[in-house]
Amino acid sequence: MTTPAQAPIHGMGHSVKRKEDPRFLRGRGRYVDDIKLPGMLYMDIVRSPYAHAKIVSIDASKALALPGVLAVITGKDLDAAGLAWMPTLMGDKQMVLPVDRVVYQAQEVAAVVATERYIAADAITLIDVDYEPLPPVMDPMKALQPDAPLVRPDREQKTNHIWHWEAGDAAKTDAAFNAAEVVVQQDLYIPRIHVSSIETCGCVASFDKVEGKLTIYMTTQAPHAIRTVFSLVSGIPEHKIRVVSPDIGGGFGGKVPVYPGYVIATVASIQTGVPIKWIEDRSENLQADSFARDYHIHAELAAGRDGTMHALRVKTIADHGAFDAAANPSKFPAGLFSIVTGSYALDAAHVEVDGVYTNKPSGGVAYRCSFRVTEAVHTIERIVDALAQQLNMDPAEIRFKNFIPPDQFPYKSPTGWEYDSGNYPAALQKALDKVGYQELRREQAEKRARGELMGIGISTFTEIVGAGPSHTFDILGIKMFDSAEIRVHPTGSAIVRIGVQTQGQGHETTFAQIVAEELGLPVENITVEHGDTDTAPYGLGTYASRSTPTAGAATAVASRKIRDKAKKIAAHLLEASEDDIEWADYKFQVKGAPGRAVTMQQVAFAAYTNHPQGMEAGLEAVDYYDPPNLTFPFGAYICVVDLDRGTGEVKIRRFVAVDDCGNIINPMIVEGQIHGGLTMGMAPALFEAITYDDDGNIQQGSFMDYLLPTSMETPAWETDKTTTPSPHHPFGAKGVGESATVGAPPAIANAVVDALSHLGVTHLDIPITPWKVYSILQEHGIAEA
Amino acid sequence: MHFEGKQQINAPIETVWQHINDPDKVAACAPGFKSLEILGPDHFKPTVAVGIGAVKATFTLDVQRVDVQPPTHAAMVGRGNAAGSGVQLRAAMDLTPQSENVTTMSWTADVTVSGTIASVGARLLEGTAHKLTARFFDCFREHIEAPSAAASTTPGEGPGEAQSGAGSETQSETPTS
Repeated sequence: MTTPAQAPIHGMGHSVKRKEDPRFLRGRGRYVDDIKLPGMLYMDIVRSPYAHAKIVSIDASKALALPGVLAVITGKDLDAAGLAWMPTLMGDKQMVLPVDRVVYQAQEVAAVVATERYIAADAITLIDVDYEPLPPVMDPMKALQPDAPLVRPDREQKTNHIWHWEAGDAAKTDAAFNAAEVVVQQDLYIPRIHVSSIETCGCVASFDKVEGKLTIYMTTQAPHAIRTVFSLVSGIPEHKIRVVSPDIGGGFGGKVPVYPGYVIATVASIQTGVPIKWIEDRSENLQADSFARDYHIHAELAAGRDGTMHALRVKTIADHGAFDAAANPSKFPAGLFSIVTGSYALDAAHVEVDGVYTNKPSGGVAYRCSFRVTEAVHTIERIVDALAQQLNMDPAEIRFKNFIPPDQFPYKSPTGWEYDSGNYPAALQKALDKVGYQELRREQAEKRARGELMGIGISTFTEIVGAGPSHTFDILGIKMFDSAEIRVHPTGSAIVRIGVQTQGQGHETTFAQIVAEELGLPVENITVEHGDTDTAPYGLGTYASRSTPTAGAATAVASRKIRDKAKKIAAHLLEASEDDIEWADYKFQVKGAPGRAVTMQQVAFAAYTNHPQGMEAGLEAVDYYDPPNLTFPFGAYICVVDLDRGTGEVKIRRFVAVDDCGNIINPMIVEGQIHGGLTMGMAPALFEAITYDDDGNIQQGSFMDYLLPTSMETPAWETDKTTTPSPHHPFGAKGVGESATVGAPPAIANAVVDALSHLGVTHLDIPITPWKVYSILQEHGIAEA
Repeated sequence: MHFEGKQQINAPIETVWQHINDPDKVAACAPGFKSLEILGPDHFKPTVAVGIGAVKATFTLDVQRVDVQPPTHAAMVGRGNAAGSGVQLRAAMDLTPQSENVTTMSWTADVTVSGTIASVGARLLEGTAHKLTARFFDCFREHIEAPSAAASTTPGEGPGEAQSGAGSETQSETPTS
């Protein structure tokens, strides 16, 4: 055989242009709303104006009289089929459609199926629902009082308290606090925020009555888990359900849960045998989908007068809304919040979280936060600054003093995690040098003398990603391994199918690069497929920065299984003993005779045309990778802000982000992830918060009031890196998708507090709006008119 | 939301009370008034169109008059729904004769608005509600004082708009294809 001119391999470490971009840039992406099936009908949903109300009656006669309206579905209809409720991924249950009461504003009340999208939209305004309003409870602290309205009378426990969860050693922590020279305390509220992905949620459910097969095209980050849940709930055998997650316009955690619309559309399709499309509009997405954060935190830090930190105590009330429909690993109702000890060597820690029901849409979904790590990092990074401020120490100095030393890894944290690797002083020093820290401090002192307000904020965060090892991590009992299946074709190209699902992360490029690196095949000859449960191997999906640590590892291990077999074929082709063959420079060669070599392409051809007698033909492998541990990316961020005394506006002048995510597959994609993550970290720090009035009305029901950052607000991010490989990951990677979202908010908050610290300001809750800053300036008589 | 106010009407208390007892006359002053169904002497179903910024809704209300003490006091409770929005209200009014031809009307109202009107129009809600309430009582006073000129000051023709030029009623309907 002759080998064609070899295209470049471009494996690990190459900034390969994204293979998916040509179709996106040319408008050829295929999103759920692009799918049009013959005879397809359209569904729209009636939603509750009340946060809490009894449903007295639903009169659909006017809607049904509208030409083109084929059906109106209510909770009573679903109840007759046993489908008025569905399980959540957290072991709670959730209304699909209510039978007699609604428990949050914008909750689904009824659905209309019509021949056209606009007819369905008209019809929902013609459905008369008679509600009898009930008092709602919007504040989780009030929800815990004995006389509070009960959000969930369907439960056996007649309380709004959902669960209590704790980690660490209470007695040891108390002892450390009793002995401490200094204790700082801080209350923090991390507000409710919304994912607001560009693409809203939706599906096309198509039940084929002849085949008895249900196909659902849906905006989901976890198609396999959805298939299993749908099979268990509906009784349809799992092989008769196909979930396809096509191109997804942003997930960020908001597309992990199952929303009622998916289920109603599916039921409607099963009953009619006709495909049903349901696509949320923007307001529905913003008002009704699951939310993130909403943590009320009280933190205390015990330390010595010299700034040595000893112990941390954290108590948190978690507002989960009306249903606990978060998507955390089952044993972790508060996600990985116990990473709250951060990058610091502490003797003891104790963390408690209580989940509470309120009359809000389901809370607690991840929003690019690695399962509650944003909340944890904000807590520790703020309180470390509070300690520095109280002791009049520099925030960089106090961090250097308390970092887990590089030689202490693997490090066992007081809440039970084993950090795989880290070098925190190196990352912080690099960030300080890059930003010119000492010079900035001089400038700040000069400006302060002139009455100008400038602040410098540091965040040295530790992430925890890659869930997770099967001994601890599962969702509804399904272990959180992930998978890859690789087939090398006779001419040396390959297809990789993975159990994770891209929503913009660039999997089609990075997973091809992993295979390119491991097998020595050109990246352009490798196709990556994902998101179709009929063809992809089983996996738990993409969220919490887990794709590279889990499915990425599976891809490398499956490649190595192929390489093991390929080596035998190479030995056969080179007429040498397998022991004399080595893999070097993307080729198999005879040890000591580099001229005698074969490429993977040649081996692949032989695997189908000239394989050794007694060996199975073909060249493929599957791996289900059960990670031995999580991975712990980290970083050092420094933010410089100027405050406008006339408007209270916070202007980010500079932001230096030094990230360490271990070995990097594609530097360009990593940089893109960090840029996006920093912008999504700036947003809750300065702009975004969802609030409700006492009657349960959302106060940010449109983008007029829910402020998403645009290019106008976004500064020029300055990124850099250090590289500390994960010792247990097959190619030393750690994951990076959420580092910046996790690390950025406290850097910004710390910078603003720093700018106001000489006025006695010790804390500001996010979002730090111009109004908040201006109020402080007015209070101190230094606001400019 | 809680509102209260007081105004002087240049008419005897009996005239004012008569006016208040005529549901058609009261309804005619409701901003965005569209129709009225009379279910009983103290039970009414008015339909009104309300707009807050870009959000418009037609509310069908169910209102009952309660605690009627001629000719000095009346109260009403009601609730209503529009597509995606709900409203609950409770209002009371007292009349006091100032002189033979002057009557003071004082009133309080508690209104709870839910749904799209409240969530999308949150920032405009309170101001709009104040404006619409003031307009209602102005209209009411003008009708009593100058019944002949009533037609020219009736605000009940178009939807109860908070912002001029925010769109006509036809534009507020969801387009049909």
